[in-house]
Amino acid sequence: MRKTVVLVTLIVSALVTGAFAAIDTIAVDVGISVFKTIPLGVIPFEEKKGITWEEEKPHQIVTRDANLSGRFDVVASDKFNLALFSRNHAEYYVTGKVSQKAGGLLRVECYLYVSKSKDLLLGESYTIPQRELRRAMHAFFDQVTKRLCGERGVASTKLAYVSKIEGVKQVVVSDYDGFHRTQITRDTSISMMPVWTLGNKGLVYVNFKTNRPRLYTKAFGRSEQPLFTQFDQTYSPAVNPKTGELLFSSTKDGKTDLYVGNMESGKARKFAYLKSNQTSPAWSPFATEVLFTSDRGGGPQIFVMGKDGSDLRRVTFMGRYNERASWSPSGDRIVYTSMDNGKMNIYTCALDGSDIMQLTNNAGNNEHPTWSPDGKLIAFSSNRSGSYQIYIMRFDGANVTRITQGGENTAPTWSWFYEDNSQTTKEGAK
Amino acid sequence: MKHIAKLAIISCAVCLAIVGCSKKEPPKTEPTAEPAPAAEAPAPQPVLNADSLAAEQARLEAERLEAERARLEALINQIMSEDVYFDFDRFELTEKAKELLAQVGELLIKEKRFTLTIEGHTDARGTEDYNFTLGAKRAMKVKEFLAAYGIENERMESVSYGKEAPKAQGETEEAYSQNRRANFRVNIKQ
Repeated sequence: MRKTVVLVTLIVSALVTGAFAAIDTIAVDVGISVFKTIPLGVIPFEEKKGITWEEEKPHQIVTRDANLSGRFDVVASDKFNLALFSRNHAEYYVTGKVSQKAGGLLRVECYLYVSKSKDLLLGESYTIPQRELRRAMHAFFDQVTKRLCGERGVASTKLAYVSKIEGVKQVVVSDYDGFHRTQITRDTSISMMPVWTLGNKGLVYVNFKTNRPRLYTKAFGRSEQPLFTQFDQTYSPAVNPKTGELLFSSTKDGKTDLYVGNMESGKARKFAYLKSNQTSPAWSPFATEVLFTSDRGGGPQIFVMGKDGSDLRRVTFMGRYNERASWSPSGDRIVYTSMDNGKMNIYTCALDGSDIMQLTNNAGNNEHPTWSPDGKLIAFSSNRSGSYQIYIMRFDGANVTRITQGGENTAPTWSWFYEDNSQTTKEGAK
Repeated sequence: MKHIAKLAIISCAVCLAIVGCSKKEPPKTEPTAEPAPAAEAPAPQPVLNADSLAAEQARLEAERLEAERARLEALINQIMSEDVYFDFDRFELTEKAKELLAQVGELLIKEKRFTLTIEGHTDARGTEDYNFTLGAKRAMKVKEFLAAYGIENERMESVSYGKEAPKAQGETEEAYSQNRRANFRVNIKQ
């Protein structure tokens, strides 16, 4: 098994090494992925004269969504061009119309057509202030994904991450593409490790205002609440995707253990009675099992156990430092960070530790991977450009795209899917 | 009972050790020990009148307090500057670390009012999560050593800062080795 792993690593490194050059968008063919993207034609929207665009135009937002999605390749064209579309196998294309309405509103009509026949597959219209344009276009693009792939896309999801603001780490939230950033914490002490509560209603994170790491929760638009104050030092939060209970690490009695608790009642109990120190818990998609890191072999290695602490198995064996695993939404793989020669890189593997794939290589440190809720993408932080920034790549390491600029941005956590359309401003349509 | 006797023996041994040490290392311990007795000395002075006597006593008292404050401050600064260093991804105490902790232990045995926060830190490599655990293990190890040295557990608390509070910036081995440490905050019990 080890041999295959080394071989795969070699192939990956051979292919990847030349390609990373610390630029914003890097297409990397790792050579072992069989994932096929769908070519999608995109034509600028027809617009009435006199619109002053404050940010990107509709087709630019669609193009960015399509390229980020890991599902599509954009075939850009100024106007309908069947020869170009068929040459590039773009069986479908997106375009639309924009006009101005009273009160400074925009009416945006968005269409998805079949290239050959010009049959309309999907049409949506939104009447919105211009600042809502990105959200509307993301909502439309999620419809396109649903129509062409039969699955939910992630264009309307968000990321929470840590941003150094005036020298202090603060928790921020932005759209998944890095736009519309909002600062959530405003403390003089550092905040870190944000995760989303169920329904994307708020965040749980760590703050040091008591001079110790402690978990807090903050529903958006509400005030912050300290969590599990009966514990001394609490960190590494993981929200149960079914019940909303919080699994976390606490250092108590001189040892770091996992605890699980109810955030409303404040009650918590030890999750598993193990001799080792345990940290970085992560739930399986249906909350039946838990991944975590244990130091029982000396360095950190990833283990899995049932939610009742039963059936403990070790997952990672290659290398001496494997940490912070998270479970793919489809449940069949994990993504984690491994340290080799002092450098951090991102890997995925199957739950039995087999089929290891190295996703990043020879490009600074690459850390803190988080799955998109559709499992097609992984966001992570990397200092490949000189400073730590957030990147998105496909689940197989292809198509690395930087989404934050300036400052220092780390530790992204992807939101859940948004269950209703209130995020998408669609009720403003018509 | 047996326990107390044992503790007494340890304390005695420690006292002896202090005497022994202070001879070897005059610059650190001796000046800090001097000012207190000196402040008590000026008792036989000519009595003038009640008012000036009171003023003089107040002055002496203020001087004594100031000397005591300076002495404690020097001690606290000394303890706070004593960082204990660790090897990469390790939490065992090196011989050098043990020597240093023995000195801290001696100071704490003398100064009963001092309480200690032991902070564990890691270098910048690795994940935030695991580094919290590693920092906690380092701080715990220091606490265990001092407890074995005779410092009451109630006077010590440990906390991990993981890789969040580096002492040295940069991605060099030099900086890393400075950051893999445990350090102290001293509080004075009222």
